Amino acid sequence: MLDKIKRFMGVDIKEEQYSLVDDATFGKINSAKKVDKWVRSTCGYCGVGCGLYIGVKDGRPVYTKGDPAHPVSKGTLCPKGLTEHEMVTSSNRVTTPMIRKNGALTAVEWDEAFRHTSDKFKEIQAKYGKGAVACISTGQFLTEDFYTLGKFVQLGLETNNYDGNTTLCMASAVMGYKQTFGSDGPPASYEDFSHADVIMLIGANIADNHPILKLHIAKNKKITGKRPTIIVVDPRHSKTANMADIFVPIKPRSDLALMNGLCYIIMEQGWEDEKFIAERTSGYKEFRKHIMANYPPQEVAHITGIDVKTLYEIARVYAGADKALSAWTMGVNQSSIGTDTVSSINNLALITGNLGREGAAPFSITGQCNAMGTREFGFTSSIPGYRNFASQTDREEFAALIDVPAELIPVKRGYSYPQIIEAIERDEIKALWITATNPLVSFVDQNRLRAAFKKLDILVVQDAFMSETAEIADVIFSAATWSEKEGVYTNSERRCNYAKKAVEPLGKTMSDANIVMEFSKYFEGKYELLFGHLQNSRDIFEEIKRVSAGRLCDYSGMSYELIEELGGIQWPCNEANPKGTKRLYGEGFACPTEDGKAKLLPLDWQPLAESCNPAFPLVLNTGRTVEQWHTRTKTRTIDLLNNLAPEAWCEVNPLDAAKLQVSSGDRIRIGNARGSVEELIVKVSESVREGNVFVPFHFSEQLINALTISDFDPKSFEPNFKQCAVNIYSEALPEGIRMQENEIAGALSYQKAESESAPALSKVKENR
Amino acid sequence: MNTPLRSFIDHKADTLMQCGNYSIDLPELQPGEQYRFHFDATACVGCHCCEAACNEQNGNSADVKWRRVGEMEGGVFPNAVQFFNSMSCNHCIDPACLNGCPTESYIKLDNGVVFHEDETCIGCQYCTWNCPYEVPVFNKDRGIVTKCHMCTDKLEAGQTPACVQACPAGAIEIEVVNKDQWIRNDMREQGVAPHLPDVSVTKPTTRYTLPQNLPQMQPADAHIVKPAHSELPLVFMTVLTQMSMGAVGALFLGGLLSLLGFSNLAQGSFVIALVAILPALVGLPLSALHLGRPILAHSAMKNIKKSWLSREALALGVFAGLGVMSAGSYLAGLDGIALLFALLASGVGVYGIYAQSMIYRIPARPSWNRVSTTKRFFATGYLGLLLVALVLSLQGYGTSAMSVLSMGLLAAGYQVLVIDEERSFYHYLSEKEEHYYQLSRTRELLRNNFAGHLKARFIMLAGFGMVLPMVSIIFLADGSFTAASVLLALAFTGATASELLGRYIFYVSAVSTGLAGNFFAGNQRG
Repeated sequence: MLDKIKRFMGVDIKEEQYSLVDDATFGKINSAKKVDKWVRSTCGYCGVGCGLYIGVKDGRPVYTKGDPAHPVSKGTLCPKGLTEHEMVTSSNRVTTPMIRKNGALTAVEWDEAFRHTSDKFKEIQAKYGKGAVACISTGQFLTEDFYTLGKFVQLGLETNNYDGNTTLCMASAVMGYKQTFGSDGPPASYEDFSHADVIMLIGANIADNHPILKLHIAKNKKITGKRPTIIVVDPRHSKTANMADIFVPIKPRSDLALMNGLCYIIMEQGWEDEKFIAERTSGYKEFRKHIMANYPPQEVAHITGIDVKTLYEIARVYAGADKALSAWTMGVNQSSIGTDTVSSINNLALITGNLGREGAAPFSITGQCNAMGTREFGFTSSIPGYRNFASQTDREEFAALIDVPAELIPVKRGYSYPQIIEAIERDEIKALWITATNPLVSFVDQNRLRAAFKKLDILVVQDAFMSETAEIADVIFSAATWSEKEGVYTNSERRCNYAKKAVEPLGKTMSDANIVMEFSKYFEGKYELLFGHLQNSRDIFEEIKRVSAGRLCDYSGMSYELIEELGGIQWPCNEANPKGTKRLYGEGFACPTEDGKAKLLPLDWQPLAESCNPAFPLVLNTGRTVEQWHTRTKTRTIDLLNNLAPEAWCEVNPLDAAKLQVSSGDRIRIGNARGSVEELIVKVSESVREGNVFVPFHFSEQLINALTISDFDPKSFEPNFKQCAVNIYSEALPEGIRMQENEIAGALSYQKAESESAPALSKVKENR
Repeated sequence: MNTPLRSFIDHKADTLMQCGNYSIDLPELQPGEQYRFHFDATACVGCHCCEAACNEQNGNSADVKWRRVGEMEGGVFPNAVQFFNSMSCNHCIDPACLNGCPTESYIKLDNGVVFHEDETCIGCQYCTWNCPYEVPVFNKDRGIVTKCHMCTDKLEAGQTPACVQACPAGAIEIEVVNKDQWIRNDMREQGVAPHLPDVSVTKPTTRYTLPQNLPQMQPADAHIVKPAHSELPLVFMTVLTQMSMGAVGALFLGGLLSLLGFSNLAQGSFVIALVAILPALVGLPLSALHLGRPILAHSAMKNIKKSWLSREALALGVFAGLGVMSAGSYLAGLDGIALLFALLASGVGVYGIYAQSMIYRIPARPSWNRVSTTKRFFATGYLGLLLVALVLSLQGYGTSAMSVLSMGLLAAGYQVLVIDEERSFYHYLSEKEEHYYQLSRTRELLRNNFAGHLKARFIMLAGFGMVLPMVSIIFLADGSFTAASVLLALAFTGATASELLGRYIFYVSAVSTGLAGNFFAGNQRG
């Protein structure tokens, strides 16, 4: 009471809590968060892989500070990284295992959770076969977690119906790299952003999704003495487009045609790098023939909406650069022709000799903190160490390395993520184990997915957070999260970063690797076979090193200590490259293809499976915002982030807004035959073209993935998240927008001009 | 082992910029120079790192933002432009926060930083009104205002301010500026950014690098039109003190007239003097309730030299004292001295209300920064005349009451004119008006959110402030004092309600100048 009066009268202004205090490591810091110790670690959000220090006070993380000695982030962190410590003690954490009893999730001991689940799995496998149990994993685990889970699912549960949520983001890059170079593995380094003369960002909104990469672009001018020419290829004028010297507002998902068209112009003009093509690539003849026959500029202008003059200008700029870096993310990958689009970007880089040199490469930027780790050792689409299921040598080699019978190794990849869902629909899969991912927000075509999940006999969710998917689970395995466990993450540039444990896991949570190993004890003999010799994360890491030795993703030269000392190590790291390798496929670095050469591939653009039609005349594009992480399990309780983006919004061009008679702040319904979202707030914006709308996918309250389409890349199985046909219904226009007839082929295009001359605006002549 | 490093205090990250490093190298300041921010809008990608880093550094909760990223958009697709303006304090050469602060809690440090001294702040929040950039922010948890100090403690120790350290684009830097040269030559070109107020108001020092050929920009929060804080203690305080001013004025006038030989008029009396000063005695302490630290209310009079708030506090304090003395003198039978006190009180009271109105005549709040604010504050004094008339009627002084009422009607009529002037001002508001963005939003609030309030306020003013007093004059003339008193009591109560409602609308319809906001969070506070 006295305190209350004192507070009211203003006697105490909490001077202490808001003052600064000297810290020996970082200088002056907030005194309320005066830490007991700093732990050097790595950020657990995205694939950039920033180095940071976790400040620990009273056994809880209270601070995150950028690590100036880390080569990726050089002391900076994005807003999510800066507030990451809050995530660990979020009210949204799951702190104990749970089982659904009488309809309600009830806290139980680990033993009960494991026993119940293992009994159920065994029963289902006995009845329906081994493959009736499936697992969907994540890009959020540590590599040690991935390796452990993969080993147990494939060799313990003996089901190969196992895939990662990375199929929703990186799978096309993986398959595209495999097509071109014979193996997965991004060939570039972030520092290439600092050296390139031309940077082409394709379907990559790095300002929102990878802001720390801007650091390396900002350094470019300091290093090279001139600003790099930045080309941004995107149907939406995202935050990133503001960086562009040339903004290329292509029609949705026409990148492949654009790349082929640029190749046409370059070869037509003789701007290609003949020497490089001859020495380092194969398939040029067929490639050239294919491109010259099918992708003349007029045709490409028609497909992409970019006028011929601008196409020539882009080709000239790109081919004229000594060092051109092309980088892409979800705008390319999340497409039913994602794999081929990736390879088409590789094609363009290859014919201009942009590979394996400083500032010159085709570079896939990863989404999640350890999407790369699961690609390397996750045991989903390949055997750990980039080995093929189909190869007997690879299977036998791997079995010998980990001392298991070779027959135990599956001879082919099981169902991919979307195929698992389809198999559930067919009653082929009856048990699903989901780890650290939230399909109930992140997967396409939600109504179909949710109907499928209802058919499961058991849904097990292993997560650190109470996600929407966890809420409907039959069993929850409560996992530890970032800062509570030890291991490594690999970032986009193949840098293996050490994530050190800073605090004990919250409540009754365990590291994912420990959950898996403990769980395996409920399956006769499996623990002894697979994990008996593995006591802790170091042991697992040692096994990973052994498995990787001699492979492209070679970890054999690494140790936790060396990784920490160097601020991460880019694989391959071995005796020949003790401090890692900055770039793949440089001079003398053969591609893992039969002939050691990169393949030039004749690829074709395909029209969208679902084009606009009278009922649904708008194209829906989905994406992210800097403040939120994926399905918000980690960020929704962090006020600083959430206040800036508390709900989804719909970007609508002013011309469409006028038709709908809505303005910013109004609410609309958006929908198509698959589903709809009510009460979505309108943001009238010139960032989208007329006829196109954008909605971020983070929010379960405005579940935009209810509208997205079950259309998958046949090679990578990646869903076509970015385009589907929708309509918007406003109060004034309850029937929605009417389709506009007679669209003129070849829309206007635009180029930012530094000089005083007018921007290059020209209308494309009709093609025939 | 090399790692982890024991200390980053002197370590230079390999960024080739000020960002990333925890240490900063700055040249020694020469006379006439100060530190300032440089913001490179061509580098900023709108990632909000600076905002998060600032809050982490200073322990502020999410609704206390010292640094904000203003968001704007312009152009036509594909020639669209998103413009981000990361702004904390502009460490102005002529800071409005400092000039207006009644407790002298702001200091312009030698290095140019506009520093807020927490210990002496009383949480009056006048600086949050005065700053044309909405920089100072009230921290409810502390009961005081706080603001960006450019991490001056860190700067002095050679350490990098949090926002500068955190920006991955190197868009925020600390520079040295020669103040005279800046004001003379560069400020009008390099100190400006879209949507920010005129630099001549406070002479901000932030240097901007802007993209070329920016199109017309629209703030991302243009769709958010929300009422300002209602400041209820101030609604009552201002109306009650203005009422007292009117009443004391009447008291003095009555005494003066009787001195001059108008012997039929009622003389000043203890009761009238007491009733006259009573509203101020109630209202003044009430105002302390809007402070974050009421216990320090007395220190509001410190900055008489510069702050209208200090002047108001002092003048109205003296006014109340003189009013009480006047009443006391009447009680003691010293009518002459009482009249002298009433004279002094009237004079000080008029100045006090003028000072009170000047508190609101600030460039940062265009809807307040009009002559009509001063006029309306004085016109509200008619309530005091109604009050005195009521007392006279109760005492049976019919003619005196009628004289006072006639003056009251004049004043109330003036208030009607003030309201009408405001109505036509917003009706004919031109887009060319300097503060069209803010004023048009005030208009929107008046028309959409408070149309009913405004109507009620006007009807009550006409009915209770004019019609009822006129009718009561008939009863007074007839000698029906009971009926007249009832009517006058009703008129006084209703008119007071009308003025309180009017004052409430005055506060809630204010729209500040400042940084553009965020699509959801508006100007990102609370």
